[in-house]
Amino acid sequence: MINLFQFIPEIFILSLILITLCFGLFNKDRAISLNTLGFILLSILLLNYGKDFYSSTQISLNTINLFVLSKIILSIGSIVFILLLKRPLKNENLYRYEYVLFLLFAILGSFVLISSNNFLTAFIGLELQSLSLYLMAAFNTKNLSSNEAGIKYFSLGALSSGFLLFGISMIYYDTGSFNIQNLDNFTAISEIGLSLVLISLFFKVSAAPFHIWTPDVYEGSPTISTLFFATLPKFASLIFLFRVYQDLNISDIKSLNYIFQMVCAISLLVGVYGAITQKVIKRLLAFSSINHIGFMLLGIMSYQFMSEGTLFFYLIIYLITTFGIFAVLLNLRTVDGEFTKISQLNGLRFTSNSKSISMLVFFFSLAGIPPFAGFFAKFFILSASINDGFIFLSIIAVLSSVIAAFYYLTIIKNMFFNKSEIELLDDNNKTGKVIFIVSGLIITLFFIYPDPLINLVDNLFK
Amino acid sequence: MSFPILSLLILTPIIGALTLSLSSSTQLKNKTIFLSGLWITTGEFLLSLLLPIFYDKSKNGYQFIEFHTWFDKFDINYYVGVDGVSIPLILLTTFLVPICLLCSINSIQNRAKEFVIYFLLLESFIIGVFVSIDLVIFYVFFEAVLIPMFLIIGIWGGENRLYATFKFFLYTLAGSVLMLLAIIYIISKVKSGNIELISDFTFDQQIELVLFLCFFASFAVKVPMFPFHTWLPDAHVQAPTSGSVILAGVLLKLGAYGFIRLSLPFFEYASIYFQPMIFALSCVAIVYTSIVALRQLDMKKMIAYSSVAHMGFVTIGIFTLTQDGINGAYFQMISHGIVSAALFLIVGVVYERHHTRMISDYSGVTNVMPKYSFFFMVFMLSSVGLPGTSGFVGEFLVIMSTISVSVYLTFFTAIGVILGASYMLLLYKNINFGDLKSDIKQLADLTNIEIFYFSCLAFLTMLLGIYPKLLFEMINKSISLSII
Repeated sequence: MINLFQFIPEIFILSLILITLCFGLFNKDRAISLNTLGFILLSILLLNYGKDFYSSTQISLNTINLFVLSKIILSIGSIVFILLLKRPLKNENLYRYEYVLFLLFAILGSFVLISSNNFLTAFIGLELQSLSLYLMAAFNTKNLSSNEAGIKYFSLGALSSGFLLFGISMIYYDTGSFNIQNLDNFTAISEIGLSLVLISLFFKVSAAPFHIWTPDVYEGSPTISTLFFATLPKFASLIFLFRVYQDLNISDIKSLNYIFQMVCAISLLVGVYGAITQKVIKRLLAFSSINHIGFMLLGIMSYQFMSEGTLFFYLIIYLITTFGIFAVLLNLRTVDGEFTKISQLNGLRFTSNSKSISMLVFFFSLAGIPPFAGFFAKFFILSASINDGFIFLSIIAVLSSVIAAFYYLTIIKNMFFNKSEIELLDDNNKTGKVIFIVSGLIITLFFIYPDPLINLVDNLFK
Repeated sequence: MSFPILSLLILTPIIGALTLSLSSSTQLKNKTIFLSGLWITTGEFLLSLLLPIFYDKSKNGYQFIEFHTWFDKFDINYYVGVDGVSIPLILLTTFLVPICLLCSINSIQNRAKEFVIYFLLLESFIIGVFVSIDLVIFYVFFEAVLIPMFLIIGIWGGENRLYATFKFFLYTLAGSVLMLLAIIYIISKVKSGNIELISDFTFDQQIELVLFLCFFASFAVKVPMFPFHTWLPDAHVQAPTSGSVILAGVLLKLGAYGFIRLSLPFFEYASIYFQPMIFALSCVAIVYTSIVALRQLDMKKMIAYSSVAHMGFVTIGIFTLTQDGINGAYFQMISHGIVSAALFLIVGVVYERHHTRMISDYSGVTNVMPKYSFFFMVFMLSSVGLPGTSGFVGEFLVIMSTISVSVYLTFFTAIGVILGASYMLLLYKNINFGDLKSDIKQLADLTNIEIFYFSCLAFLTMLLGIYPKLLFEMINKSISLSII
């Protein structure tokens, strides 16, 4: 008898999808605001009863905490995202309730992915998530580059899914089981299969050298979809990658461990070298995200020292920063439409106080300059990795963050030192403004009062 | 003492900056903004005067200690305190910041509010570096200093400011991240970031050498030592006058302070091991940059190179590892903080009036600006190290302490003094004497404000030169503790 109790979050989202489907036919505005409400409810539910959902299962307490915390983060992220999406979609004439449906499916997929203990379930979750993402990338059907992004993402994503399936079948051939936990005796075939699974996951989180799709898809998709790609699905895939790493004890398997370290180092370096010459802000953010993935992989590898806390902390800070940056970007428009180039940010300081200062905070935080929260995130990751003996990777990581500082500083330079050339229109989106100001405040004030965030992460892992 | 004076010192400028940033900029005139900034920083200066008054010179260790747990899980604490080594530098900072604001009232016309805000933030971060006795919080403040400085040079700098400010930022950051790794490693070994505990801990010798080099990378860039000094002339030349003042006056001292506070007590073996390397680099710095300074056409660049040479004395003094040497180095730090700040102000005065820094554009200034020439002479002589000025005491002690190490070292440092005298006298001669150029006839002499701050600085130089005991009383005990 399957215990349905543990599926309550997923069932909740599924019913939300059905309601939105029916309700959206009549009133799309209401349908969208309904979802906000739904996710608020879901996060309250998870915050209060999250652990009880899984109490009847045999999952270890630590893993339960992982599920609950990541699902809370996902649903809070969805709230923010849904609040943010209305204005940008309207500006592009894309305001349709189907967009929210894709979002919901993607979140559902992420939920399934996070809590799956079985490779097949994970595959279903990952596909559900990815298919929605392809649609979100190509949502601006009249725009050629959006179509291109969608097709590129789809064809490469399908290839990586093929890898995943092939890897899973090899593992199944070898061990006779789809379970993630039950792989004790590794033979060469399982190792190859597992490495294929890892490659597919690396593709999903856009770790180098499996990152080629990222800049193009980021650039071509509507900015609001880019925000989504950069945050929630990636978060979910990373958590799953983390679970695979932890549950299968990949740190003990030499070859896979080697792959992991290589990917980590290459991501760190490719991210920064790719970003230096970029002129389009979304491409730059794509490469910078690859660099940050490198840091997160470092966090995954060195989880033994300070448990999942460091990785989660990094992820939370990264999500907040990314949401903040995109909230600012979505709030700005040029006369011809969405603004794209970094040089168009010139002179933002003179036109908008709040935007330029928040951007300053976000980019210094991404660069890891204290006293902003990004520094502490990197600090904890590095502490963990040095304690676990990844000295060489840590050196690569800090040196890459120095190079990264260069292009973050270039953006700040454009905003603060240069005179504006093109007039940027202020979209005056109140929700967007609230979001980036709040995230800016969190990033800044964390230094003075770190307890709430630290405790949130900490308590769930005790 | 339960009164949280150190936190107050850190927070006052931040709170001031916050209130300023919340006020609407359209209503305030530039002058009002600068005046409010001045009030805040003067208050800060008066507050910091409490430190030497209530500091108990007879006791060992840190005083005015405040302790709050910060990151419980990682054993990182907000742990601040001061001893004799940090108090004079705090005073120097709080003393120089109001002067920086004073000197830019006229020269900074656009975005005055931002300017004052960045300076206030800068001040509180610098004080944070000097008061922290936990490694992580030290690093946080040490790095945070870069942000306002980056903006100050980048927004109000000269025509090539972008290059200069990027170079400044990236150089310093590249040095610092290595220190960050070393800090993390140390904390993982000692299980605490407390400076006193780490001083008692002995590392493996090989590891100690590596850790020392990591710290060295950061501090050597900050000081700056040869060959890491190339960012300094650029940053100085492009920075606005006030930026140069704070850069030469205080920021360079962060590196030397780091050497005294962290490198010496942490890495005793490595300090001795690397002594020859540091002496060699410092000697090169002193002789080479002095010769480079001789050939400069730009006044600011010349003083910038002279800073590198003077900081060479400081590093030599510190690594003689004797009480006299470190005392002398420390004295040289404070003296250089006052004198080079004053010299940059001197350049700023004529730059503001004539809009050029080229030495060849000036001649016979003493005819039209007698008061200016007088103050210029005081600071020039102090920079040269004339007895009776603060410059003398430091240089003398450093040279004296080098004899115990090596006569060759003494020889090179002494050459540095002679070269220093030659370029400073040359600069003074070229600008102040000679025929009066026709286009500088209308230059106005010093205003009352300028006379006011120059007299303050001149008074301090003389006071320290004539009565150096004032400073030595404060630092003697603390420094004797940091010697091996």
